[in-house]
Order: sequence, then C-alpha cells, then structure tokens
Amino acid sequence: MIRLEQINRSFEVGDETVHALRDVDLDLATGDYISIMGPSGSGKSTLLNILGLLDQPDSGHYYLDGTDTTTLNETDQAVARRDNIGFVFQSFHLIPRLTAAQNVELPLILAGIDPNQRSERVTRALELMGLTDRAKHRPDQLSGGQRQRVAIARATIMQPALLLADEPTGNLDKHSGDEVIQTLEQLNSQGITLVVVTHDPDIGGRAARTIRMVDGAIVGNHPRPPADGTP
Amino acid sequence: MKLADAFGFGVMALTGARSRTWLMLLAMAIGVASVVVLTALGEGARRYVANEFSSLGSHLIIVIPGKVETTGETPPMVGGTARDLTLEDALAVERSSAIRLIAPLTLGAAPISYKQRERDITVMGSTAALMPVRNLELARGKFLPEADPTRENAIAVIGDKLKKELFGNKRALGEWVRIHDRRFRVIGILKPLGESLGMDMGDIAIVPVASAQSLFNTEGLFRVLVQAEGREAVPRAKQAVIDIIKKRHDDEEDITVITQDALLSTFDGIFRSLTYTVSGIASISLAVAGILIMNVMLVSVSQRTAEIGLLKALGGRREEIMRLFLIEAGLLSAAGSAIGIAIAYSGIWIMGQLYPEFPLIIPLWSLAAALGISLFTGLLFGILPARRAARLDPVVALAGR
Repeated sequence: MIRLEQINRSFEVGDETVHALRDVDLDLATGDYISIMGPSGSGKSTLLNILGLLDQPDSGHYYLDGTDTTTLNETDQAVARRDNIGFVFQSFHLIPRLTAAQNVELPLILAGIDPNQRSERVTRALELMGLTDRAKHRPDQLSGGQRQRVAIARATIMQPALLLADEPTGNLDKHSGDEVIQTLEQLNSQGITLVVVTHDPDIGGRAARTIRMVDGAIVGNHPRPPADGTP
Repeated sequence: MKLADAFGFGVMALTGARSRTWLMLLAMAIGVASVVVLTALGEGARRYVANEFSSLGSHLIIVIPGKVETTGETPPMVGGTARDLTLEDALAVERSSAIRLIAPLTLGAAPISYKQRERDITVMGSTAALMPVRNLELARGKFLPEADPTRENAIAVIGDKLKKELFGNKRALGEWVRIHDRRFRVIGILKPLGESLGMDMGDIAIVPVASAQSLFNTEGLFRVLVQAEGREAVPRAKQAVIDIIKKRHDDEEDITVITQDALLSTFDGIFRSLTYTVSGIASISLAVAGILIMNVMLVSVSQRTAEIGLLKALGGRREEIMRLFLIEAGLLSAAGSAIGIAIAYSGIWIMGQLYPEFPLIIPLWSLAAALGISLFTGLLFGILPARRAARLDPVVALAGR
C-alpha cells in the first residue's frame, strides 16, 4: 500500500544542512501496525510528515496506493490527505471555539459532504469513542484523554486507509494513554494501517513492527518477537 | 467545502473572538455611517436651495438693467452706461405671445409710520401680477387691484411682521400709514412666507409701481419679473424679452436676463459636486477601516496558525483556506456596513427631528456606494492576510512556530 524509495530530506539550519532523512526505504501493507522510534532529532517526525503528505522529500519516490505522490501538485496532495490519511497529534489540535461534535465534523465539511449525512456520521463516530454525552462540550471542558479521543474520531471520520499518530500519548497520563493506544489498536484490528511515532518503548513495543531511526536513517526494522505466552 | 459551510465557519470564527470582531465592526460602521450622513447633508443642502428657487415661482425670468459680461473682456472706456429699464419697457415686453405675466419691480428703503410708531422698511413697487408671479398669499384683505400701472394709487399691502410691529393686535385693514411723506391706505396683509432668497417678505410694504417711482423719484425699475407661458416657452420668452428691449434701447443689449432654470442648474451643479467631495473625503475613513481590518486579520492569522495547519492536514486546499479568510473579511465588512447604515439612519432621523425644515434624505446611490466601497476595501485588505494563511507550510503551522 505504501512504498518509500530512497527518500531524502534535508533542512537548512543556519549555515548547516541537517539531513533529517537519508535514503529511507519503507514498505507498508494494508492493515500494518508499525511504530517509529528513535531519539529526538532522528527524523521520525519528518518521516511521519512525509508519509502524511504534509512535507515533500527532496529526492526519492513515495507511492501511495500505486500513485507516485511526488508528482502530485499541492491541491491533489490536499485531496489525497483528506480522503486517505488521518492524523492524531500529540497536542490534539482541536479548535477551541468549536464543540467536540463540530471538531469531528470538520473533515466532512472540508470534503463538502451533505449536512444530514454529516450529523449522522459524527454521532456514530462519537459513539464509537464513547463520547456521546460530550458532543456539545468544548475542548477546554474535556479531559486530556477525551480530547485525544475526539481527535481520533476526527481522524477516522473520513474512513482513511492510513492513520498517523505523532506521540499520541505524549500529553496524557498513563491511564488515558493506555486507553488511547487501545482505541488506536482496535481501529487497526478493523483494517486501518496504523503508524505510531513515539519514544516510549512500552508503546513502541506493542506494534507488530518497530522501526528504529538514528540520524535520519532506519537502523532497525524488527517484527515484534512472538508474544511470550508460556510462563 | 460548501459555500454555506464556509460562511458558517466564518461566523463561528468571528463570534469566537468577540472583542476583535467588535473592533473591526466599529471601524467599518463609522466609515459607512460618515459616508452616508455626509452625503445626506450635501444632498439636503442641494434640495434646500432647489426649494428656495422654486418658491420664487415657476417659469420665472428675471430681467435686470445693465449687461453683466462674463467674458472677461476689459469694459469699454466710453459709453456703455446702462439705460434705465422703464415701466414702458416692461409693458412692451408683455405683448409677446410667449409671456403670460410681467411684474415690474421698484425697490427702495423708506420709513413707515403709524401714529407714534415708525420702522425703516423695504418698499416694493409693483402691480397686481406680482402676486401670481412670486406665489404670494394673503392673510387678510386684498392685493393691489388690476389697474393701469402708470397710475399712482395711495394703497399698500404690508407683510405680517410689519403689521404686528405697527398695529399689534389691532385692525390694520383700512388704516392710513405714512411712508416717507405720503399717506397710504392698508388694503391687505401678506401671509407669513418666511425668507425668500434673502428678502424678508414679512417686513415689506408693496405699493403700486407708479407710486413707488414717484416716492423714490426714479424712472428706472429695479427688476422686471417675467412669467413665461409654460416651461417650454421659457427660452422663447427670454429671446422675446431681449429682442423687444434691444429694439427700444437703440439696438443695444443693455439688460441681463436670468432664467430660473439657469440659476437652479448652476446651484444644483455646485451642490452636487460639493456632495461628491464631502462623501469622497468620508470614504477615506472607509479605507482606514479597511487597513484596520487588514491589520487585525493579520494578527488573527498568526494567532490561528495552528488551526490553519490543522485545516491543511485535514485536507483543506490552499484556495479553500484563502476563501475562508476572505469570507471572514467580507462578513465583517457587510455586518459593519449594516451597523453603519443603521447608525446613519438614526442620526439622520434625529437631525430631522431637530431641523424639520431642512430636507435630509439619504440618496440610494450613497447607500449603494458606501456598501460597495466597504465590501471592496474589506475584501481588498482581506486578500493579504488570506494569502498569508493559505501559503503557510502545514508542518511549520502545526508546530505553532
């Protein structure tokens, strides 16, 4: 479903050139669950941005469902983002003046979907996240875990094939973080491709595959060791 | 994104930042209100003058002795002394078919007295035709009778103010007053008319033209008021006046003929350009409001960077984000204009209550212009912030940097 070939991305920081990604190759099949781990500055967020079409590589190719996205113009990339990719951010990125339901509705509005259909889908998405009674609340009236679940509802309302989560538990306590991770994994078990960027080894270790990055290069690509079922 | 949703989103964004929104609405409202009010004042002044002229009477032509040259040539050194415009000239003019009525006018200042009371007033000598020509109305008694204009008669019609000052509440009709050294019998009192082109019609006495001429010992007339047969006859009547007087004055055109239309259109033009100037100055405040909108929108864009990044991440296209911010600017301008127009209407209403005689009317074109300019400036100055928002790099925007 996703194929990265020889992706390079560098930034100019002052006089220096920082290579955020060096010759990155990556293959993801539909329904995969991977985590990207590594120290800060290792390029994991840049990789996620490239996967999410928020950033463009300097060289290399990114095939999404067989389409070479590096040839798309900005508008087509926006549409591809809208229809295929959901984002979950560390700081939630909910719009403070809008209610939970309105925040979840936003992607549908951007996609120009009919209002009657929208409210139905929003209700269902909030229900799935167990937030039905919070629909009319603004983000500042919600707990951190609830906010992140609103954000997940928003990320999945367009039924994307790919869900990208950037430190989804970074601003949450252990309990809410676990809930959020379980929610994401549940979505993955229903067939969505899930990519989680984290530096928490507990969370990273839960993925079927863990990618380790150092200085912009992938240094390890490990499938999860078989679950230790025996005592 | 549907247009209705984009508007809904704009309204939410504006109501989400109350103080910022009110600030911009206020600026736009003041701009629009000043344009509309100043235009109404200018237009009111124009109508006021136009009304003044029509109270002079309709189809009026004014004949003035002496030629007023407007060509800017140096006047001739010898000759050219204007001949008097005489009563005979005036009567000759009346024979033209284009002319319905003429009213010769002699004017002078003289003391008028009744018993111990004395006033200095303006004495007008004229004929019975003055009443229809000047649209005069009587409060009591009769006007000068139809008679041979060359014959003197010791009768007078006085203004209402003069009547009060000389007679108080006592009966004035039939009483004898003294003007200068002659006695006149009061036969009529004018209705209060207010001022007409700077002449207080309440403070005058009207006597037969021949009596006034001998009172002031003059042959010449001050003016001849000519009423044409109709509006279309005015140019023909004007030409007839010139031809007849020229023939009688040895082929010398030594009179000036003013038609009411010419006067009216001159003043009309002056006041119209005045209105345009004033409203042009007022629209500068609209431009200022536009710049304020731009500044506040730029602040808003930088405060909402993360939101714009999010919209991009959710698949908002560049032109959609641009449109969202333009719609916000447009909504601000439209709402600001609506408030401004409401302010203008209430201001005009209050002024109308204070000065009921001044015709204050908001012309439709000024409403349209104020609305148009405010929307235009709002959108124009909205483009820059909207473009800045649309061009934000989503990665940078999401990081809130």
